[in-house]
Amino acid sequence: MTPSHESLQLWPAAVSATATETDLLILAFTVLTLLLTVPVFVAITYFALRYREGSEADRSPSGIRSNLIEISWMLIPFLLTLIFFVWGARLYIHSRNAPPDAMVVEAIGRQWMWKFQHPTGQAEINNLHLPIGQPIRLHIISQDVIHALYLPAVRLQVAALPDRYTDLWFKADKTGTYHLYCSEYCGTDHSVMGGEVTFMNPGDYQEWLTHAGAQQGKVAAGRALYEAYGCAGCHEPGSAVKAPSLAGLYGSPVKLADGRTVTADEGWLREKILNPNGDRLAGGGKQIMPSFAGRIPADELTTLIDFLKSYSSPAAGKAADATPAGSTR
Amino acid sequence: MSASGSIGGTARREPHAPESTIGRKADYLHAESTLRSWFLTTDHKRIALLYLASITGFFVIGAVAAGVVRLALVVPNGAIMTNDTYNKAFTIHGVVMVWFFLIPSIPATFGNFLIPLMIGAKDLAFPKLNLTSWYVFMAGALFTLVSVVLGGVDTGWTFYAPLSTAFSNTWVLPALIGVTIVGFSSILTGLNFVVTIHTMRAPGMTWFKLPIFVWAHYATSLIFLLATPVITTALILLIAERAFHVGVFDPAYGGDPVLFQHLFWFYSHPAVYIMVLPGMGVISEIVPAFAQKKLFGYRFVAYASIGLASVTFFVWGHHMFVNGQSDLASLVFSALSFAVAVPSAVKVYNWTATIHKGSLRLDTPMLYAMGYIGLFVLGGLTGLYLATLAINQHIHATYFVVAHFHYIMVGGTVLAFLGGLHFWWPKFTGRMYSEPWGRVSALLIFLGFNVTFFPQFILGYLGMPRRYATYPAEFQLLNVLSSAGATILAAGYIFPMLYLVYSLWFGRKAPANPWNAKGLEWETASPPPTHNFLTPPEVPRIPYDYPIQAKESRDQHG
Amino acid sequence: MSEGLADGVGIVRAEHFESVAQQREAATLGIWAWLITELLLFSALFLVALITRIQHPEATVAAAKHLKFWIGATNTVVLICSSLTMSMAIEFSRMGWQRAMVRAMLATAALGGLFLVLKGYEYYADWAEHMMPFLADRPFALAETPAARLFVNLYYVATILHAVHLFTGIALLLGMTWMAAKAGFLSRHQNWIEVYGLYWHFIDLVWILAFPILYVVNR
Repeated sequence: MTPSHESLQLWPAAVSATATETDLLILAFTVLTLLLTVPVFVAITYFALRYREGSEADRSPSGIRSNLIEISWMLIPFLLTLIFFVWGARLYIHSRNAPPDAMVVEAIGRQWMWKFQHPTGQAEINNLHLPIGQPIRLHIISQDVIHALYLPAVRLQVAALPDRYTDLWFKADKTGTYHLYCSEYCGTDHSVMGGEVTFMNPGDYQEWLTHAGAQQGKVAAGRALYEAYGCAGCHEPGSAVKAPSLAGLYGSPVKLADGRTVTADEGWLREKILNPNGDRLAGGGKQIMPSFAGRIPADELTTLIDFLKSYSSPAAGKAADATPAGSTR
Repeated sequence: MSASGSIGGTARREPHAPESTIGRKADYLHAESTLRSWFLTTDHKRIALLYLASITGFFVIGAVAAGVVRLALVVPNGAIMTNDTYNKAFTIHGVVMVWFFLIPSIPATFGNFLIPLMIGAKDLAFPKLNLTSWYVFMAGALFTLVSVVLGGVDTGWTFYAPLSTAFSNTWVLPALIGVTIVGFSSILTGLNFVVTIHTMRAPGMTWFKLPIFVWAHYATSLIFLLATPVITTALILLIAERAFHVGVFDPAYGGDPVLFQHLFWFYSHPAVYIMVLPGMGVISEIVPAFAQKKLFGYRFVAYASIGLASVTFFVWGHHMFVNGQSDLASLVFSALSFAVAVPSAVKVYNWTATIHKGSLRLDTPMLYAMGYIGLFVLGGLTGLYLATLAINQHIHATYFVVAHFHYIMVGGTVLAFLGGLHFWWPKFTGRMYSEPWGRVSALLIFLGFNVTFFPQFILGYLGMPRRYATYPAEFQLLNVLSSAGATILAAGYIFPMLYLVYSLWFGRKAPANPWNAKGLEWETASPPPTHNFLTPPEVPRIPYDYPIQAKESRDQHG
Repeated sequence: MSEGLADGVGIVRAEHFESVAQQREAATLGIWAWLITELLLFSALFLVALITRIQHPEATVAAAKHLKFWIGATNTVVLICSSLTMSMAIEFSRMGWQRAMVRAMLATAALGGLFLVLKGYEYYADWAEHMMPFLADRPFALAETPAARLFVNLYYVATILHAVHLFTGIALLLGMTWMAAKAGFLSRHQNWIEVYGLYWHFIDLVWILAFPILYVVNR
């Protein structure tokens, strides 16, 4: 499935009935805005030309009582806009009350990644695969600061709070791949905290759950962790810190400062992540990496190391990964 | 009085004051010239110029930071600078522009200079307090400036907990302390204005003879007094939490991070009107002067200033529609936001009606005023999009919001500031600026502003979140357009700095009333003497006593 | 206002005012405006304390049990007495009784000092009971109910902020007493006493609000 947005569009894709109605609301509101502003622009321009100093123009008082004008031009726009208040409120209330039969997907936000868990147990990092034609309720919480989950394709967002759950529900009716963002500023990598949401036919979704969701998604999940925990910020080529590249590291010999040479196997990688001050590397580089002991849960550490095992070179790492977080398409 | 043909080109009545006092010991600029006489002055006019110099400096810093932000966004992948650098740059831009430029801009400079002149007083009620608040402002501002520029802070100007309290490892603490200190300066300025307007009016200067500029500053000062203490409390709690882990907002102890947002916006939404109302005051002076016509609906505009300042205290929740606020609260806040936004946006109709059947001169201040009217109405009405609950769920925290508040803050406050600066420049300095350069700059700023910010409405609707150091490639075209507009805008800002400074030495000497404007500030010399008036000013029969009076004046000022 | 004053008592007009009455009016309005902002500063804090109580009633009550009710109550009485002596000082200043006024002002400062001493003792007792959760090296007595921290910390923020106001108030009062003891003070600056008196009553008022909100309603 190709992303539905290759180049500039002047109208974003809408994949749910609510999204379409929101678009209609905004279009109608724009018409009203034009109705209220264009006369001002025209009038200013016209008056500026007609009543220039020295021009021959009628400047006698118009004789209209100003109180009447004042009240009417305050009340009429206000009453007109109230239509939009009611319309917007109705749509909002609708989008706040999920139907009871909605499929619940757990979403956890954390600096700087999203973790989604399907009702059947499969988990994804930063990307989300969902079926169409069925109400979906995202049950959202944050593990640290305030984030917000934003899905422009359904015209909805809601904050991920650290102390209580929030909900977001929608029913998509078009397949396709769309952006998924964090929209509440959350620190350094706020702009790469996101990925894509893919809406699929229910059959394809079941297929995905049994195959891709469990298997191929794992490397992508590992890569997302590699970026979310900041490993990439230092270990990728071209970073300011110039930490050693991890591509192809797995299984290769590593020279240590005390003269030994070890093989970078799974256990050594694990130990080095949790305790970077041990086993100093040869070459005299300064050890500045922080310890991740207590900061990374055991299952995520395993996923991360699985990714490192499959990571042969930076280019291959990107190519092998279906949907890298924050990469541009 | 009505007529066809030329009015205003020839002054209806000559000002009482002498033509010019430059070079004479009498005027406030030349009364004393030592550094000490400036830094220890209690003359409200000199303090206003101290503020003018300092906020211009802060504006330059904030504008450079904005330039860095726009530069970073020329490419989508963040190749120009790291995410951290970008985040620090937009934090500098927000903190400096909001706290140290926009909030003090018009009140502390024009308000300080003009309120005593407009009400016919010798000074503000508390001149020493006035000087103190400048020092407090500078102390807090420099403190924060050092921490955001040299140290770097990456929380954004809103300092949301718990990012600011527990997670950011940048120089948040000194920045917070500085902003808290600056709040006291705002309170003292507001207090001084309220007391001055209540007690220092010249005999005969009743409330409904006050210019709208004074009404707007009265309303602004009430907000300074009633809202600033709450942000001080919020910041004190934030400081205590960051420094001593007090945990009021920290969920780890059962604290509520959204509570900070409530306290923050309880101040910061009214603060929008701290920035907007003085601008409305400036425009309400410029438009009648250049139309030579009485302001349309004087009483309505005066009451609206106070009304807006009151209602604005009850709409803060519209910043939190998607932040887990209860649906009922969101409905109420949405409705109240409509109630406040519509009347403030339709104020532009009053200015438009003032131009109708006037005798118009399109000098620089008027060009800025007309630009203001156009941009402010767009900014105000796009605010209604955001107040509409269902639309807010889509465009909250996107570039639509960025575009909206820049239309209000730049299109509104900054244009009003520049318009007012040109309007009263002869009064401040006793010199005329270069009119052709002024017009060119005003047009450049209007053009540059729209090219910069209009594309951001579209970006927002397409779903580009704000505060993004990197973004999907399909948004690049609009972002490049926006950055290109920013360069035009920058040029528009640089010209006035050059020709205004040039005019200080080489400008034509200004007469007491170069625009044939009404208002007591034009009854005294340019620049005014140290105690403002050599002879007590004569208060006119009605405010805005211009040659062209609409029929309504009889209804409202019998 | 000036009609209630004895002979030889009054103020000297500053240059930018048109009349003494205008000057007095400005000073009074100014201090009231300032006190309103101060009141809002504390109100926001008390509001947060009440919200904390609504969100975590048990933890708040558990924490409030550790507050020293009787010290708080005594302090309330001490401050009310100080307001009384301050009112007496204002009255004496209007009558031109300079010596009595200075004594009343010293008594006010002494009562304020007594409040601070009692408050300091209360903080010491809190420290001894491990009720200072922000100290890293002293485990919190109610560590098992994390929300208790919220209330205790708010208690410190509010009372310290009040103590800072009181301390500033005492310093100003002593400085003013020193000047007020000089001859001729009452003929030049009598309204300083009036304006300052309002500030002192305000400090008292804040405590009268703080005491029930922190000590009483949570028991």
